[in-house]
Amino acid sequence: MKALTANRLIDGEVVFWQAGQWVERFADAQLFADDDAAGPAAVDTAKTQPTVIVEPYLIDLTQGPAGLAPVSYRERIRALGPTNEPTHGKQAEGGAAIAALQAATGAARSTGRVDLIRRK
Amino acid sequence: MYSYDIIDQEFLEDRAAEFRGQVVARLAGDITEDQFKPLRLMNGLYLQLHAYMLRVAVPYGSLNPTQFRAFAHIARTWDKGYGHFTTRQNIQFNWIKLGDTPDILDHLAGVQMHAIQTSGNCIRNVTSDPYAGATAQEVDDPRVWSEVLRQWSTLHPEFSYLPRKFKIAVTASEIDRTAARAHDIGLKVLRGADGALGFEVMVGGGQGRTPYLAPTIKPFLPAARLISYLEAILRVYNRHGRRDNSYKARIKILVASLGAEEFGRQVEEEWLKIGEGRDLPDTELARIRGSFIRVPFETAPPHSDIFDAEHAADRSFARFVRNNVKAHKQPGYAIVEISLKAPGATPGDASAEQMDAVADLAERYGLSDIRVTHEQNLVLPHVKLDDVPAVHRALQSVGLATSNISLISDIIACPGLDYCALANARAIPVAQAIQDRFADADRAEDIGELKIKISGCINACGHHHIGHIGVLGVDKKGEEFYQLSLGGSGAEDASLASILGPALPADKVADAVDKLVETYLGLRQADERFLDTFRRAGMAPFKEAVYADAH
Repeated sequence: MKALTANRLIDGEVVFWQAGQWVERFADAQLFADDDAAGPAAVDTAKTQPTVIVEPYLIDLTQGPAGLAPVSYRERIRALGPTNEPTHGKQAEGGAAIAALQAATGAARSTGRVDLIRRK
Repeated sequence: MYSYDIIDQEFLEDRAAEFRGQVVARLAGDITEDQFKPLRLMNGLYLQLHAYMLRVAVPYGSLNPTQFRAFAHIARTWDKGYGHFTTRQNIQFNWIKLGDTPDILDHLAGVQMHAIQTSGNCIRNVTSDPYAGATAQEVDDPRVWSEVLRQWSTLHPEFSYLPRKFKIAVTASEIDRTAARAHDIGLKVLRGADGALGFEVMVGGGQGRTPYLAPTIKPFLPAARLISYLEAILRVYNRHGRRDNSYKARIKILVASLGAEEFGRQVEEEWLKIGEGRDLPDTELARIRGSFIRVPFETAPPHSDIFDAEHAADRSFARFVRNNVKAHKQPGYAIVEISLKAPGATPGDASAEQMDAVADLAERYGLSDIRVTHEQNLVLPHVKLDDVPAVHRALQSVGLATSNISLISDIIACPGLDYCALANARAIPVAQAIQDRFADADRAEDIGELKIKISGCINACGHHHIGHIGVLGVDKKGEEFYQLSLGGSGAEDASLASILGPALPADKVADAVDKLVETYLGLRQADERFLDTFRRAGMAPFKEAVYADAH
């Protein structure tokens, strides 16, 4: 599975794509099957919104012990907040969806991120 | 302390207003992100993992209480109540909104501060000795020369688009608290045989993926010729630096490829062409120097009964004195270091309340002078011995009395993957795990000086190449691993650390450090520091201790 993420222009907040809207919670993100053309299509649409977000890219997801989570450690930190300040960032909200992300382990790079780095 | 004149002040206000217009244009879609990014970076604004990060310059690590309170105000008003002091003596705010940044720059301009040249391929904030003007070790006040360089390098049109970023350090003491040889240019103020002031000029140091210590290309440069000589260095660099490859674009690569001797020869050739016309007039130097000599020290006896009584009565104060209080050049005064490395804390972080408290202490007891060290701590450089007990108690009340300067828990760590878009691995939790392991203050003091420096990626903001123990976070197929290296130093005995062995998983790093320390304690002779024992005994016993289980 995949999700589309970016940073919001006005404040840098990590956001996720949900049916044409940008939402702050990973748990609310729209999910795309790996071979679903809607994922790359959403990236293309996101690129037409440069006054809303910056650097949109797809992240890879995997089934963790408590639910779907980003494969990459980096993306889990983006979806949660810094591990040294547990009351800062999205993790401050708590709840089952946050706990599911925190329970996820393992790591690999997101293909979308690698593509982004390659483009630079 | 140097104060801006009206031209400087108006320029800063104009610059903040200019950025406000650029932000409006970006939000309206009048300029693209590609057009806007270099503009925001010129104002120190990066986009990191969770938010924008604003890096504010603290010129040569020196500031006054009003400026420090401005940091507290920014932390409280536009961030999450704290700031992060960096290995370049600057401060970074981690949770900044783009839309708030023009207001923040206005606020900074109001206290003669800014974020200009804290990013980009230009001459960055000059590093200097946090004990400047307070230590008897110095032959001259390095802030005078740092301020000369600040004025010369700020918005210098010829050096605003160098092949890569450029960092200069100025020290004036045999004891190097600036990591001078790890800079693009290190300047050591010294006196020649006839007593005249000059500089030893070191060029081509740096860390990152290809670390070098700067070789000396000129053992004695007459002080009056500083600017023309630096211009000659930068012209040679501008001409030959590798703009084609950012990994090879720093001056260290050029100096290493040409050789220090040939590089020095080309600089001399260029210097002859420039002549003396580019140098600073004596009157201007005298004007700048005049800003730094008005410290109103009182005449005081070299010993203080109040200090001695507290020292005898309070063990925590005695420990603080042993580790954090340093000799001052003026009888009856002391230099007080404030550790930002409390157990469990994030290295280099200070809350708004702590910043306000330090500003109050500087105003009340410290001649309104505050310094930031490249080891991510703070310094009150001028405290009367009579007042040190009161300063200690006040620091205790805000959690800033940790007595561990230069000990194993005084760890440098970059923000790492918890915040930084470039990082491969986290640095802060590794520092915290090591701090926890060595939380016993008696044990830490028994171990003695041991500098651990942790970077979350190869860019080496955490100075791992010059740590007695360096820790580098690496990405092994997406997992956080840590490569340990030993034997580095950023001090006057500068050296680059050597890799210990294969990288370790995160949960094994504190164990490995423990084994390194036990090995050192077993081998230690007399008063040897960890670094001394390593240099005498070599890598083998340390490697064996950490990797024995793997065989």
